[in-house]
Amino acid sequence: MNWYAIQLECLLAILAVVVLLTDAFRPVRDARRIGLILSALVGLTLLYSFTMQPLGEAVFQGMYRLDTLALFFKRLFLLATAFVLLMSAEFVERIEAGRVEFYVLLLLCATGMLVLASANDFILMFVALELVTICFFVLTSYLRRQVPSLEAGTKYLILGALSSGLTVYGIAYLLGITGTANFEKLRAVLTEAPVGEATGLWFGMVLVLAGLGFKIASVPFQVWAPDVYQGAPTPVTAMLAVGSKAAGFVLLMRVLMTGLLPLEPVWGPVVLGLAGASLVYGNLGALPQRDIKRLLGYSSIGHAGYVLMGVAAVNALGVAAVLFYHGQYAFTTLCAFLAIVAVTRVTGRDDIASFAGLHRRAPILGLALFLAMMSLAGVPPLSGFFGKFQLFAAVIDRAQMDARYYWLAGIGAAAVVVSLYFYLNVGRAIYMQSSDRTDAIPVSWPVRVGLWICMGAMIGLGVYQRPLVDAALQAARVFGLE
Amino acid sequence: MNVHDILFWVFSIAMLVCGVMVIAHRNPVNSAMSLVLLFAFMAGLFVLLEAFFLATIQVLVYAGAVMVLFLFVIMLLDIRASVLKRLRWLGLVGALLVSGLLVWEIQQVLRQPAVESAVEAKGLALGLSDVVKPLFTQYMLPVQLTALLLLAAMVGVVLLSKRDLQ
Repeated sequence: MNWYAIQLECLLAILAVVVLLTDAFRPVRDARRIGLILSALVGLTLLYSFTMQPLGEAVFQGMYRLDTLALFFKRLFLLATAFVLLMSAEFVERIEAGRVEFYVLLLLCATGMLVLASANDFILMFVALELVTICFFVLTSYLRRQVPSLEAGTKYLILGALSSGLTVYGIAYLLGITGTANFEKLRAVLTEAPVGEATGLWFGMVLVLAGLGFKIASVPFQVWAPDVYQGAPTPVTAMLAVGSKAAGFVLLMRVLMTGLLPLEPVWGPVVLGLAGASLVYGNLGALPQRDIKRLLGYSSIGHAGYVLMGVAAVNALGVAAVLFYHGQYAFTTLCAFLAIVAVTRVTGRDDIASFAGLHRRAPILGLALFLAMMSLAGVPPLSGFFGKFQLFAAVIDRAQMDARYYWLAGIGAAAVVVSLYFYLNVGRAIYMQSSDRTDAIPVSWPVRVGLWICMGAMIGLGVYQRPLVDAALQAARVFGLE
Repeated sequence: MNVHDILFWVFSIAMLVCGVMVIAHRNPVNSAMSLVLLFAFMAGLFVLLEAFFLATIQVLVYAGAVMVLFLFVIMLLDIRASVLKRLRWLGLVGALLVSGLLVWEIQQVLRQPAVESAVEAKGLALGLSDVVKPLFTQYMLPVQLTALLLLAAMVGVVLLSKRDLQ
């Protein structure tokens, strides 16, 4: 066994089991403190992960890769988990039963995501994907006395089960036709054999794409996103928005750009279409929304569209742009949700109107939420601007050879303009509308620290992008694209 | 016609009869028991295909564990014999359409020249050790991960179905 490769996953899994057993034998009184400790421990794991070096070749019979791309996403997931645990510590008092188990499920979910970042084989991918999905089934319906949470859980359960079914059906087709589940071997088989005739191959590919499309909430597999984002407990929504989406994208890139790269002429236009449709649907759908979590649900569909632009470009620049975008999107989205958790803890409401006059009641929360919205909209000098800039650059680069990509860039540009409206709408509520309630909203010191880190990263990555861009370019080399 | 062929027809016809009985019985318990029989005959078909491990699993897991679960649920929910409903035309047309499509698909598949499948190509036998050994060697990591998956599922089920919160 290669312990070195899976040490981060092992750490998280052990942490989860230890917490579960501790609670079973000596029930935890102060769940908030446990959450903060766990958040700090995961943060330490994140720091530790920077000492790890990538391994040259795949381990576990070629199923598992610890390359720069895997490490990049593992760090992203650890970052997201640390912040989500911090949010959960603030949120946990609203959970009636199973407070400690909430953390345990989050940790197990994170373990699955870390494995997904390295999956190089359909079998391992499917098991890890199921681990993540099953944790989310439970987590989304965690507040089972509240109807919205139950509704979210049911919708996610049914559509999630459907997408798992589609994925495994597609995998069966690919496995049956090519005889291998390994991404690299699959690529070798497809490069050798004449692939044009095998209809079953296309069928399998489309089914796998559908399953992954569900994970990243891209059109036409997006229907669940707004309802689930709105109904799920806020920390879970954050984990869905940052972790689950990034996990879907790393898999999508590994499947398409390693395993199915020889079929690029077939899936290229499909991804192009999905990107355009997600951009239009997400950004237009967000316009009339009054609930901030629902708004972020639609915005998440739109962002899936932006990131798919980078995937559709199929060049090194595009992959690097996808990675950079995910890096900055994590900080931005976590910042937004952290602020939302802190506000709703006092107000108990999610609608945008309840954020009116926030800058008076809690200046730091108002500023953090405002900056996050501006970064999501892509306003310079925040990191979101540079993320979008890179994605557009990659698409324009590709468009030199294929004029259809100009259309995609055009749709993307229009989407950015449209999105300004609804993001600024939140900003307007925070700074320009007044509320009859003026009592201060208390912000605990861990939340303050978290918010400062996120805001620092948003502004820092907007002004000085070099470190993350370098890391993204290095990780993008894994695919050997031009 | 040798014994092999005769057994194939016996098992197949018995399966069809059981299948009809599953949907024809009004009492859900009887339907479930018919399904058990169906699974048993299906195991017979697997034996004829020399997939002995699959046959065993079919009996142990499907006819055994899964069906017991079905019966438990039926008895727990105390489902009475259902009232015979009037036939809906739309449903009938839909069913005929789907069945027709399926028959057409099967016909298309049978018309194709026999393709050497991936399983045959590798000379893979479906014995016990062929199935189990890879689980402990090649697929060790996914199997371990499945353990975590089951843990998560178990914790989740307990939490979501517990009657009183605290």
